[in-house]
Order: sequence, then structure tokens, then C-alpha cells
Amino acid sequence: MIHRRRFLELGLGSAAAALLAGCNSNGPRWAQPVLDLTERENEGVERFLFRHRSMDTVGRNVKSAGAAFPAYFIANTVPMWDPAKMGPWRLEIGGLVAAPRTLTLEDLSRMPSVTQRVNHYCVEGWTAVASWTGVRLRDLAALVRPAPEARYVDFQSFDDGYHESWDLPSAMHKQTLIAYGMDGQWLGPAHGGPARVYSPVKLGYKNTKYLTKIVFLPERNGGYWSDQGYEWYGGV
Amino acid sequence: MTHWIAVVAITIMVGSGLRIFNAYPAFARRGETFCCYPFENKPIPAWLTFGGWLGGARHWHFAMMWVLVLDGLLYMAFIYLHGEWRDLVPRRGDLRDTIQMIRFYLFLRRDHPHQGKHNALQKSAYYAMPWLGVVLVLTGLAIWKPVELSPLTAVFGGYVWARYWHFMAMTALVILAVGHVFMVFAVDPYSMPSMITGRYDERFAPDKRDARPFYHLLPPKQP
Repeated sequence: MIHRRRFLELGLGSAAAALLAGCNSNGPRWAQPVLDLTERENEGVERFLFRHRSMDTVGRNVKSAGAAFPAYFIANTVPMWDPAKMGPWRLEIGGLVAAPRTLTLEDLSRMPSVTQRVNHYCVEGWTAVASWTGVRLRDLAALVRPAPEARYVDFQSFDDGYHESWDLPSAMHKQTLIAYGMDGQWLGPAHGGPARVYSPVKLGYKNTKYLTKIVFLPERNGGYWSDQGYEWYGGV
Repeated sequence: MTHWIAVVAITIMVGSGLRIFNAYPAFARRGETFCCYPFENKPIPAWLTFGGWLGGARHWHFAMMWVLVLDGLLYMAFIYLHGEWRDLVPRRGDLRDTIQMIRFYLFLRRDHPHQGKHNALQKSAYYAMPWLGVVLVLTGLAIWKPVELSPLTAVFGGYVWARYWHFMAMTALVILAVGHVFMVFAVDPYSMPSMITGRYDERFAPDKRDARPFYHLLPPKQP
């Protein structure tokens, strides 16, 4: 028979052991379904809070990060589009659309462009300000006319299978650009050139660099970081 | 009961929050410096963190936040319905009494100041805690959704500052909570059984013992 005091000692002991084991750990495995559930519920909250009218702004007295803007860091070699080997860079827009298109950089730069100075919100907690020039994705969508079932968009790159899929509303936000310019220069390889997704309404990792393909989909298609356990929605 | 949930939830919130912080243990916007944090770019020791990695810690943080907020609301409803909030709301003279209480603990005053259920220093600390909770929730929302809730983020001075206030409010809450637990053990361990039984022997009250931390810990001799 376990006496009350022994019971308390055992209880306190195992609680302390659990706490110590918890330090810098992922937490108990049984909690994973609960965490998955809260991620889904939190996505609901984030979708509920999403407004096409809410815009990211940067105060006039805030300096741009310039050279301090963090560059590509996933692998040692920076992905670079080599026209000699790969031909001229092209952006394919397809999937559930009425009129799929393939655009060259020239086509893209001839479309009505937007330049916006906004924050980059990294999942790690830092922000960096830069000015981005590009075409609104909603203008590109008007060109290819997505089907009503297309509720997700996948942004794919020539960087080793890197891609991230988005919900349609975030993709159609006015600040979501297919950017080919940064701080008044053509977008270089360090920041995802020739063109990339750029939007302050999503965390940095959702903004695919080295973009080659935009696919409208009926279902979500995960993503490079989302599949490794970061939130799929990743809204800001 | 809400107290024990809070202990677990706050521990996990602080641990996972520090793990998230360690992904970028600084406040400065890229390309700038930050005025008001002396430990920029120095990570928090890993044993104080929880969640294992940034993504894991974020999942824990964003799950436990609901538990803690619900627990806090439940607690507030409880002390409101039981009228216990009357013991915590500051009254005129509480500031003076708080200073007297600090003087007493520092041996600058011999006798224990007169007190009700809580002494004035306790009252101030306990009263500050829910307010820190409110600041933590608001600054937390401000750094979770700085675009969708940009007016809220602006109230705290923008993302960088909201993140700073979130961190500082956490630090203040941890100091109060650690101080609170220390004082329970060092000044009034007799109150602990009452957390389960609900009964408290008034003869052991700190003001009857003139108790300071680890001083007059034993009950007074019976006459």
C-alpha cells in the first residue's frame, strides 16, 4: 500500500524529473497531436485576422538594412541561374488556370510594377527593411485566370526543390509581389534573383527565392520549411 | 488549481519563449543597433529553454498561450466571485506600507508592520502580476501579427519595441514569481498546506512571528 506521504514524494519526484528532462527538449511525444491541433486552430485565427486592407508600413526615419540584409544561407553555394547552361530564365504560371503563361524577365519588367519599402519578418525574430520592386501576383493572376477551385498557390524554385505553398488570400494581397528588384538594383543571386516571391504578410521562409514556377492548386502542397515542422501558414 | 496550471504553463511559456529568442538573441533591426539591452547577441543558456528547436518552441508557445490565457481568466473570475480581489486592489497608503515592509525585511525596522491577509509588499506584487499578464498578451499579439494587428504593434512603438516589452514584462513576471516562491519557503511555509486544505493557522502568520526571510521561521512559543 502506498501511503499518502510516499504518494506525494513519488508525485513530486516524477514531476521534477519530467521538468528536468524537459529542459531544451522537444517535450513529451504524446503532446504532438495537441500541438498539431493548436497549429490548425491558430491557422484559423490567422486566417480570420487576415485583411486585404492591412498593410505593412515602415516609418520614414527607419533606415533600410542595405548590406546588412541577410543573404542566402541554406547551403554553401549560392544558387545562380546560368543562362549558358539553363537557357534564358523563365517564369511558368500554370496549374488550375484558364490561360497558362510563360514569362521572361523582360515580359515581367514590362508589366505595371510596384515599389514598396517594407519589413522582412523572419521566423527567428529579426526584421530587416528593404525596398522591393516587382509585379503584384494579383496582376499575374488576372493574366492567367485561376479556376474557382484554385484555393492555394505553390511557389517553386530552381534551388534544389525549394518551394512553399500559400493560401490564396495571402497570395492575392496587394503587397505580395513577384519581385525582380531590391533597393533600386536588379535582384541578385544573394537575395533570390532573377525573381522571387516577396510579401510582408508572410514570414521570410514562405517567400520563395529563385522562383521559376507558380502553380495554382486545389489543395495545399506543404513546403520546404513547413515540411520540416515550421507552421505551414506562417502569416504575419 | 488555477495556480498549479499557471506554474506549468508559465514554465513552458518562459522556456519556449527563451528558445524562440535564442534564434535571434538581440533586438536590433538588421543594420541598426539597439540602445537598451546589454546582452545583444548573447544566447540564453540552453538548459533554461524548452522546445528543442525554433519550430518546436513556437508550437509549444502558441499552444500554451491559450492555456495560460484561459487559466488567467478563470483565476480572475474566481477571485472576483469570491471577493478575494478586495485583498489585492491597492488602497490609499499602500505605497507607504510597502516601503515600511521593505524596511522591515532589510532590518531597518524592528517590528512587523500591521497587515491584513497579505502585507502591503505582497499586495503590490500580486496586483502587478495580472497587469504584467495583460502586457504580455498584448505585446505577444503585437509581435505575432505585426501586419494584421499593426495598430496594436504601433501602440508599443513598433515590432522591435513590442518584442522588447514582451521580453521585459516576462523578466518582471519571472522575478515576481521566483520572489513569491522564495518568500513562501523563507517566510511563510505554513501557508503551503492551505493551498490544498484551504485552512490556515493564524497563530503561525508572519506578522505574529515578526518573520523575515529565514528569520523567526519557527512559530512563537506558546504562553
